[in-house]
Amino acid sequence: MKKIEAIIQPHKLEEVKEALIALGVEGITIAEVRGHGRQKGHSEMYRGVEYKVDFLPKVKLELFVPDARAEEIVGALTTAARSGKIGDGKIFVSSIDDAIRIRNGDRGETAL
Amino acid sequence: MKTQNQKERSRRRPLGQALFKGAGTLVFCAGIIAISLTSCMGQEEPKPDPAGIATGDKTTVVDAGGNAFVVAEPADKSAPNYADSKKASDEFKAQAAKEPLAVKLADSVGHIRVATNFAWTLNTGYLVLFMQAGFAMLTCGLVRKKNAGHLMMLNFAAYVFAFIAYYAVGYAFQFGAVAVNAAPGNLGGTPTLNHFLLGNGLWGFLGGKGFFMTGPAYDAGSNVLALFEVVFMETAGYIIVGSICERINFWSFLLCELFIGAILYPVFGCWVWGGGWMSQLGNTMGLGHGYVDFAGSTVVHAVGGFCAMALSIILGPRLGKFGPDGKPRAFPAHNIVLVVIGTFILLFGWMGFNPGSTLGATDLRISVVAINTNLAAIAGSATAMLFWYLKFGKPDITMACNGMLAGLVAITAPCAFVNPTSAFIIGILAGLVVCVGVLFNDNVTKIDDPCGAISVHGFCGVLGSICLGLFADGTYGAGWNGVGASSYLGQAGKGVTGLFYGDTKQFLVQLMGAAICAAWAFGATFLVFKMVNAVKSMRVSKEVEQEGLDVPEFGFLAYPEDGVHFSES
Repeated sequence: MKKIEAIIQPHKLEEVKEALIALGVEGITIAEVRGHGRQKGHSEMYRGVEYKVDFLPKVKLELFVPDARAEEIVGALTTAARSGKIGDGKIFVSSIDDAIRIRNGDRGETAL
Repeated sequence: MKTQNQKERSRRRPLGQALFKGAGTLVFCAGIIAISLTSCMGQEEPKPDPAGIATGDKTTVVDAGGNAFVVAEPADKSAPNYADSKKASDEFKAQAAKEPLAVKLADSVGHIRVATNFAWTLNTGYLVLFMQAGFAMLTCGLVRKKNAGHLMMLNFAAYVFAFIAYYAVGYAFQFGAVAVNAAPGNLGGTPTLNHFLLGNGLWGFLGGKGFFMTGPAYDAGSNVLALFEVVFMETAGYIIVGSICERINFWSFLLCELFIGAILYPVFGCWVWGGGWMSQLGNTMGLGHGYVDFAGSTVVHAVGGFCAMALSIILGPRLGKFGPDGKPRAFPAHNIVLVVIGTFILLFGWMGFNPGSTLGATDLRISVVAINTNLAAIAGSATAMLFWYLKFGKPDITMACNGMLAGLVAITAPCAFVNPTSAFIIGILAGLVVCVGVLFNDNVTKIDDPCGAISVHGFCGVLGSICLGLFADGTYGAGWNGVGASSYLGQAGKGVTGLFYGDTKQFLVQLMGAAICAAWAFGATFLVFKMVNAVKSMRVSKEVEQEGLDVPEFGFLAYPEDGVHFSES
C-alpha cells in the first residue's frame, strides 16, 4: 500500500478532487498548510513597515492507495494540479505498513 | 524553586494588591466627602431635584436667538447699559401683570425645553457609550490573535473601573463647581453643583460637590450631565488600551483606569469644562473667550493620547517590535474585518460625541456640527489613503481607518465654531499628521504604539485645539465662557473667533491650553506610574508575552479552536 502526499495550490483543489473522483478514489484527507519550495516568499508592507511573507498558503492532500493504482493516480493528480508556473507544488509517494478500518477492523488493502 | 502551590499563590497575589489599593482609595474618598460636607455647612443651599419635578420653568424659556422670556431685574447699578436693562425689565413686569396666564404657560414651555434637551443629551450620550464597542473591535482587530481575549477584556474592564473611579470622586472633581461659571442652562442649570474644593470664583482648580453622585448630585439635571460626561471620560479611558496592549498586566491596567477616572481626566476637565481657571482666562486675562474645546479634542483625546504615550514609554516596546538594529518589525492585524466595522461604529458614535456637546437639541447649531464632523472624518481618511498610496504603493486599510479617526479627533474641538470648508481642511491636516505621526513613532521616537493611539488621539487632539484657534469664524458661541455676551471684537453677537478671522488672543490661549493638556496628561501619568512600575513591574513576563496573554491572564483563548482543548460532549 502506498501513501501519496501532495502539496498543491489551493485554487487547484477542485480540479484535483474531480480528477480523483473520476478515477474512483474514495478516501482523501486535506489540510490547509503554509510553505514554500524554491519559489520563496515575497515582501509586503504593514503600516509602513516591511515584512516577509515567507510561507504561502497551500493545500496538502493525503491519499492511501493500493500499490497497483499508485502510478495511475499520481499521473492524474499531476495533470490536474499543474499550471506550469512556479509554486505548483510537489507529490511524495511512500510505502505504508498497514491500514485498519476502525468501524469493523478490516486490515490491509480491503481497509483502503 | 517555587512549588506548584507557591506559584499559584504568587500569580493570585496581584488581586490582593489591587484590593489593598482599592481600600486605600475608599478611605481617600471618605476623607474627601468629610471635607466637602464640613465646608458647605452654614450656607443657604439650592435643593437637588431627584424626581425632576422642579427643573425647567419660565426662567429657562429662551427664543431662537437666545433671548430670555423673563427679563431679569439688572443687579449692577453701575453697568453702562443699566438704564436700558431696567427699562426692559420694567416692561416685562408690566406685560406679565396684564397676561398672567401667558406667564403661567411659560413655566410649561420652559419645562418642555429642558425636557427636549434632557432627551437629546441622554441619547447622544448613549451613542458615545456605543463607541466603547467600536473601539474594542478596532483595537482587538489590530493586534495578534493570541491577545484577542486580553484586548477585549482591557476594553471591557476599562469601562467598569474608570466608571467606579469617576462615580466616586471624578464627577465631583470635574463638575462639582460647574454652576459657578459654567452652569448648563440647556439642562436647567444644575444649581446644586456650586462649590470648588480647590480655588474659587474665576480661579477654580477642583470641584467639590457630588461625590458618589449623591447628595447635591442626586438631581435629575445633574444625572443627565453625569451620564453624558462619564461616557466622555470613558473615551479617554479606553484610548490608552490602543497603546499599552499586548504587554501590560491586568492589575496595572486597572490602576491606570482608576487613575484616569479619579484624577487625570477630571482635573483637566474641571479646568476647561467644569468652570475652572482655563475656561475663565478670557475674563481673568483677556485671552479671547478663554480656553475653548467644544467636545474634547484635548479634554478627552489628547489626555488619553498623552497618558498612553507616558505608559508606553514606561512599559517599553513589545518583544520583537524593534530588531537589534532598531528597525521596526510588523505585527500585522489579525482581523481587518473588526478594524473596519469598529471604525464605522466609532464614526456613528461620534454623531453623539460632537453634536451632543451642545447639551441641547434647542441649539440648532447641532446640524452644522454633525456635517463638520463628517467632513473632517472623510477628508482625514481620504488624505491618509492618498498619502499611503503615494508613499508605499498600496493604501493601507488600517491607516485609512486611523485617518478617519484622526479627522474626527481633530474636528472635535472646533466642530461648532468653523465653516464646512475649514472642517474639510482640518480633516486633511489631521490625515497628514496621523500618517507622519505613526511613521515618526515607529522610526524616530521608537515608542511602540500598536493601534496608533498616540498619533490619532494625542497629536491630532492637540492639532484640533490649535485649529480652533485658527479657523473659528465667529458665527457661533457668543458669550462663551462668560465673555462678550453683548458684543465681542466690536460686533454684537460675535462668537468664538480664530486667528484667520481676526482674533490673535484666542489662538494664543489655544496654543497654551493644548500645551498644558499635553504636559499634564503626560507628566502626571509618567510621575505616578514610573513609581508604580518601580514597586512592581506593570509588564507581563517574557514567557507570557511570547505565549500570548489570553491564557496566562484570563484562563482561556479568545479563539479556542486554536488550542487542543476539547471538552466532553
